[in-house]
Amino acid sequence: MRGMVERLARSLEMKLPADVGRLAELRAFVRRSSADLDVGRHATNDIVQAVDECATNVIVHGYRGAGGELRVEVERVDDELIVRLSDRAPAFDPTSVPEPDLELPLERRPPGGMGVYLARRLTDAMQYRRTRAGNELTLIKGITEGSQHADDQR
Amino acid sequence: MLTISVDNETTASGDGIAVMRLDGELDAATYLDVIGRARELVDGGTTRMLLDLSDLSYMGSSGLFALHSLAMLLRGEAAPDPEGGWGAMHQAEMRETAAELKLLNPQPQVDRVLERTGMKRFFEVHVDRAAAIASF
Repeated sequence: MRGMVERLARSLEMKLPADVGRLAELRAFVRRSSADLDVGRHATNDIVQAVDECATNVIVHGYRGAGGELRVEVERVDDELIVRLSDRAPAFDPTSVPEPDLELPLERRPPGGMGVYLARRLTDAMQYRRTRAGNELTLIKGITEGSQHADDQR
Repeated sequence: MLTISVDNETTASGDGIAVMRLDGELDAATYLDVIGRARELVDGGTTRMLLDLSDLSYMGSSGLFALHSLAMLLRGEAAPDPEGGWGAMHQAEMRETAAELKLLNPQPQVDRVLERTGMKRFFEVHVDRAAAIASF
């Protein structure tokens, strides 16, 4: 039956200054977009946090607080929620950051590694691409019908 | 947006406990405010703190950094340098549950972050305020 379902592809986009003071606005946008795309609460919470962690890395470690622009595109394609973060900061590939060993005391964990670690855990895939303009990070979250219903119980 | 408020409570044995309540979202824009407020309290003589998370609707990894910093400050040690990230925590070693900082009523999103990052084992978590204060 699922194969017969009409293919859905809808997307929403925003641009904002790379400033930690705008992160709440970014989270609200992703949350709203996800709801508009009929994504369940739990998957939405996960993608909101993953985007927040990755955007924080771009602002703090990419632009190093010097300012710039961040572009966010939220798209649903069938049963996947896809968020694309684009920036013009120096090259940084978060997918190359090694996994922290959670058994280690905190001081031995790599800088910034916790945010990337959380983003990985909260999504199904993270894809990085260096573009002519800067960096493009794609976060993919699968939305199964079952989990959408289960989400609303949380 | 994060609102920080502090109540001073006293245990049955007469010890003072600062109850810091966080209302809103704890992220990269607000975590330094939490550390700054805790530093003021510690400078004023606070040695034990209950962090009330009942109204904290969101916590990012910056919030974990803040929790760790609070535990260090209450222990009388320097908080790690935020510029240095996790790697700066050379003096801030934390291997056991913090006795000076306890958590009250983390909401599901915050609780999941603590759980997923292995941070929960470093903090005693309570659901009842009176019992939490009495536990110090």
